[in-house]
Amino acid sequence: MLAVLILLILLPLAAVVIQVLLPGVFFGNWQLGDLSLLLDVFRRPLWYTSLKNTIVLGLGTTLLGTLIGAALATVRAQWKFPGARLLDVTVWLLVITPSFILAQGWVMFAAAGGLAKQWFGWDWLHSFIFTPVGLIVVMALSKFPFAYLAVYTALEWKVDRLGEAARMNGGSPWTVWRTVHAPLLLPAYCSGAMLVFMDTVGDFGLPASIAAVFRFPTLPYSIYSALYTSPIRFDMAGVLSFYLVLLIALAMSVQFYVLRRSRFDFLNARATRSEPRPPIRGKWLFAAINVLTMAIAAGIPFGSNLLTSVTRSGSGGGAALTLDNYKQLFETSGLLSEGLVHSLEIAAGAAVIGLIVGFFVSYVLTYSRFALRQAVDVISLISLAVPGVVLGIGYIFIWNQAWLEKIGMLLYGKPGILVLASVAGAIPVITRMLSGAMAKVPERLLAAAQMQGAGFGSRLRTVFVPLLRGALVSAALAAFGASVFDLATTSILFPPNFMTLPVVINQAFEDLKFGYAAAATLTGGGAVIAAIMIIEWLFKPKKARRTEP
Amino acid sequence: MRSSKWLTTAALLSLTVAATACGNSNDNASNNASASQSPSASASTSPSASAESASPSPSASAPAESASAAPNGNGETLTVYLNDFDDIVKPMFEEQTGYKLNIVSGNGAEIMSRIEAEKGNPHWDVVWMDSMPSIDQLGAKGELLEGWTPDNAANLTDFSKQFVPANQSYYPTGTHAASVIVYNTKSFDEASAPKTWADLADPKFKGAVGMADPAVAAPAYPFVAWFFQSQGMDAGKSYFQSLIKNGIHIYPKNPQVANALTSGEIKAAALQESNAYTLKNSGEPIGIIWPEEGAPGSVRVAAIQKNTQHADAAKAFVNFLLDPKTQQALIDKGDESYFEPSVKGVTAKPDRDPNAKLVVAEAGWAGEHEGEIKQWFADNSVQ
Repeated sequence: MLAVLILLILLPLAAVVIQVLLPGVFFGNWQLGDLSLLLDVFRRPLWYTSLKNTIVLGLGTTLLGTLIGAALATVRAQWKFPGARLLDVTVWLLVITPSFILAQGWVMFAAAGGLAKQWFGWDWLHSFIFTPVGLIVVMALSKFPFAYLAVYTALEWKVDRLGEAARMNGGSPWTVWRTVHAPLLLPAYCSGAMLVFMDTVGDFGLPASIAAVFRFPTLPYSIYSALYTSPIRFDMAGVLSFYLVLLIALAMSVQFYVLRRSRFDFLNARATRSEPRPPIRGKWLFAAINVLTMAIAAGIPFGSNLLTSVTRSGSGGGAALTLDNYKQLFETSGLLSEGLVHSLEIAAGAAVIGLIVGFFVSYVLTYSRFALRQAVDVISLISLAVPGVVLGIGYIFIWNQAWLEKIGMLLYGKPGILVLASVAGAIPVITRMLSGAMAKVPERLLAAAQMQGAGFGSRLRTVFVPLLRGALVSAALAAFGASVFDLATTSILFPPNFMTLPVVINQAFEDLKFGYAAAATLTGGGAVIAAIMIIEWLFKPKKARRTEP
Repeated sequence: MRSSKWLTTAALLSLTVAATACGNSNDNASNNASASQSPSASASTSPSASAESASPSPSASAPAESASAAPNGNGETLTVYLNDFDDIVKPMFEEQTGYKLNIVSGNGAEIMSRIEAEKGNPHWDVVWMDSMPSIDQLGAKGELLEGWTPDNAANLTDFSKQFVPANQSYYPTGTHAASVIVYNTKSFDEASAPKTWADLADPKFKGAVGMADPAVAAPAYPFVAWFFQSQGMDAGKSYFQSLIKNGIHIYPKNPQVANALTSGEIKAAALQESNAYTLKNSGEPIGIIWPEEGAPGSVRVAAIQKNTQHADAAKAFVNFLLDPKTQQALIDKGDESYFEPSVKGVTAKPDRDPNAKLVVAEAGWAGEHEGEIKQWFADNSVQ
């Protein structure tokens, strides 16, 4: 298992970092690099500011995003209220949408002459959004779904007795949550927070688009500028990526410290599947809060995109409604549908392989006494934080060596490399979600099964799959959705004549076809969401489904 | 209909696989005589590789491969890395020559990253991009085919001839303004708008001007580089320092500059030429000014990889790009259609300013100083 992780994630990354030490090693040139680059992060103003900004943004977003995600997940799992399904749809929408699209929506909305100004006359919004605090709020609203999914899947099973006992002793719902539920769910909260943190510090699209307005460079931004300089500085990108990995390692040690000494495997034979109940009062309050949050988190970016996709700037400066952009989608020689099909195939492959790898990684993380567990843990998260372009370049170094040709493994230049890269991208999401849920399945359940003579296969089938079905489905779908729109990796790895959906969208965007890009995003995103919803409906535990109206 | 498209895709895919496989093993063969048997070995492995990689079944490739044998080009496959015009040159070139084109299209930086990362085992035969300084650097490192003169090079205009380097490692196919001055016509009229590059530092336009970041946007570097080369490093630094002091907004790329301009975030900008005209033609309230001292230009050049296995096809492609008919098609049908053609007998866009004056930083100089200038710019604009 460790070998797979190393092959998929560590080796490509190491290849880029090795560039710092031996810049020419992949081209047969053993020359020692300039190690003083490592300290440049404290010397060069751009790098220093980037590091500082990344830390501020990462911490702020993690706090706020986890708060929003966990609160929504708790409410959603516990109570029934009108519009709860809306929350699920929105969360998926936010997970799969590439961040530069979300960012574009926010910029269109909050820019000086943007929609907020035009429609509501909100001048203040501009001066609020384009500040570090505003950026944290926007980031949190875009990244909270990771925390939501991690917590929500962990709430799939519960042991009512624990809460009931507390209630019998006179605890209020708040006290019960604070003293019983919250501590038991700590691993899930941590998993969610880690995901939010990783995805925030590694994100290029959102900070680049939004922050450019007030200049807020982050580490990924500086990594890009190192790669976009000619002669290309792979070594600088390597140094900065190293700092990103360092940040993750730090965050993980904090998590480890928080979770030390405690056990969270509280499921037992009395566990029941969570079923949302109607709240005694406040049903409509929940609904209102839910709708409001969704309207801000998804309504603004997607609404702005939708508006752009159906607007044609009139010659008089006025705007006219039009469906031209959508018509174009289907006229331009199937470029979009071809890209969409390619992306769906790659994402499906990545989700399946990623689920298998991710399952075993989570298993190792949760149950084994394996000495290198911590290492596995860190590696499994790296690919979320390190910008896809860096990993992509690592993939080229590794998979484009001439000798691989002779054994038929020259994967670079073939679609297979995209599947590999997407698996690497999917693993962090899958392992976080699964290990959050697995933490609650006690080892003794497995031991009991084993004593009865159940082999590993039948333990999987009879213990894990039923208990973790929801988490497995969610993890696979999250991986699938995120891979469909994975721009960074595919843009550097796609084989000739093999367009993928995000590449098509990004090119339209760079050609200033904003309307077309928005229309393509919404159409492609709609198709993916529909697929996700159908799969979820098919595979989610039947009982939970039947209880819903 | 759908299934036929599938078949074509499948055929193209497996062709790609087969072609890259052969190309690379030939490459090995030339480097290492002992590997001379590898072409057949790699050909037999490619179907399994393509099947494994989720592409459609390899059986589709057999009929298509024989069908693709065209008159003079023999269906040989040429791999071209480019950043624009893929939809135009592919059908035109394939029809004219019978060669097949494999295209990798991305933004300039992505393509250069790929080329750099592939250095040990290049997949490309021709690179065709508007990043002359970077390609000049490839030439300086001896990675390009040198000393070849295309027939159509005789057509080059006097303006374009100056860009052909002494070692003939690349040829220009057109020049566009890396930046012209654009302004929002609702905020300024022709009299009050900035007219020279120096005007952008005028306190009148404090906080109202935008430009793309040369560290990220490919066309922004030729723009910045011209100031540094023509005025000297110190004067260049003080010019951009004055812009930064005047509160210039620096966006990652030109599309974001355009967006900021239409949303009212900024009122004037240094914007890439085609982007500027595209905005204007889509009905946005945009005015375009060509400064009298000249707009710094970016030259699109084509170069052939030194060890290419498809030299004839590659030469045919570069010659094709220097054909007036080809350049006219780029102007008539392309997305980045506003540029000054590099050969005679081509008419530029009618609405492009006939007196458009382009000035270009010398490629060798710009290439050598690229890291230094970009780093200076990045570190100073961040404060």
